[in-house]
Amino acid sequence: MPFKRYVEIGRVALVNYGKDYGKLVVIVDVIDQNRALVDSPDMVRSQMNFKRLSLTDIKIDIKRSPKKKTLVAAMEAADVKGKWEKSSWGRKLIVQKRRAALNDFDRFKLMLAKIKRAGVVRQELAKLKKETPV
Amino acid sequence: MKTILSSDTMDIPDGVKIKVNAKVIEVEGPRGKLSRNFKHLNLDFQLTTDEETGKKKLKVDAWFGSRKTTASIRTALSHVSNLIKGVTQGYRYKMRFVYAHFPINASISGNGKAIEIRNFLGEKKVRKVDMLDGVSIVRSEKVKDELVLDGNDIELVSRSAALINQKCHVKNKDIRKFLDGIYVSEKGAIAVEE
Repeated sequence: MPFKRYVEIGRVALVNYGKDYGKLVVIVDVIDQNRALVDSPDMVRSQMNFKRLSLTDIKIDIKRSPKKKTLVAAMEAADVKGKWEKSSWGRKLIVQKRRAALNDFDRFKLMLAKIKRAGVVRQELAKLKKETPV
Repeated sequence: MKTILSSDTMDIPDGVKIKVNAKVIEVEGPRGKLSRNFKHLNLDFQLTTDEETGKKKLKVDAWFGSRKTTASIRTALSHVSNLIKGVTQGYRYKMRFVYAHFPINASISGNGKAIEIRNFLGEKKVRKVDMLDGVSIVRSEKVKDELVLDGNDIELVSRSAALINQKCHVKNKDIRKFLDGIYVSEKGAIAVEE
């Protein structure tokens, strides 16, 4: 019940609204009660409202408003990208992106694969049902 | 202005078992069980076990609180400490009869659950007061004209005392002269045997 993810300098957050939707950014400074200065290796440092951010579990070790070079180095050292892609949240997002980018032929292949998998599961289930007398 | 975080903690003594779930606090101790609902407050309640001393602590947080919510943190802790005190030591409120000419005649009925007051200021009206749940009343022997109210929940005990007091207000007279009534004389704990 107590909060575990705090807004602090170095907290990695996911942008969930606006131009930079879906990007991972680092909170580099807090401007006031509602806004933070965020930065990321592939964007210009800018201010963002907290309502546009979703906090993650990842935190890196930086001082307030570091230079771009030190920020990038700290992100490499903490392996933010790797940790994100291993986390269940990160993996879910990757799968969602993949599914959204399917073309019709891919969806057809997916359908066939699902049918095949369901067939194998049903065969195993039938075997198990035969063994145990109900 | 909103204060980002204001919080306060309190120690929980060893003899009590305390449970916190969704702003409902339940306290259990040698004298019984009490519970209190804090759902009307916007606070976070959290039970933590202390570092290395093993004592339990109750922590109350208010995130982005106004002045009033910050003030309500300490009142919530006071209510909890009253629960704990009630469940370990209990509450004993003593009331005295005060009369100038007409002796107040009180009889306890229902094995300590109700009191009947007669002859207040010579009036024919009989005043009956029922005690609230868990509160028992007894006419003290040894001390003349004294009532003793016992219970675990301070809110119920003090409210029962207030009900008795309010039943014996003087009407249509100068209250500076007619000082009759039943007044709370002492607020304390039952059984302070150490």
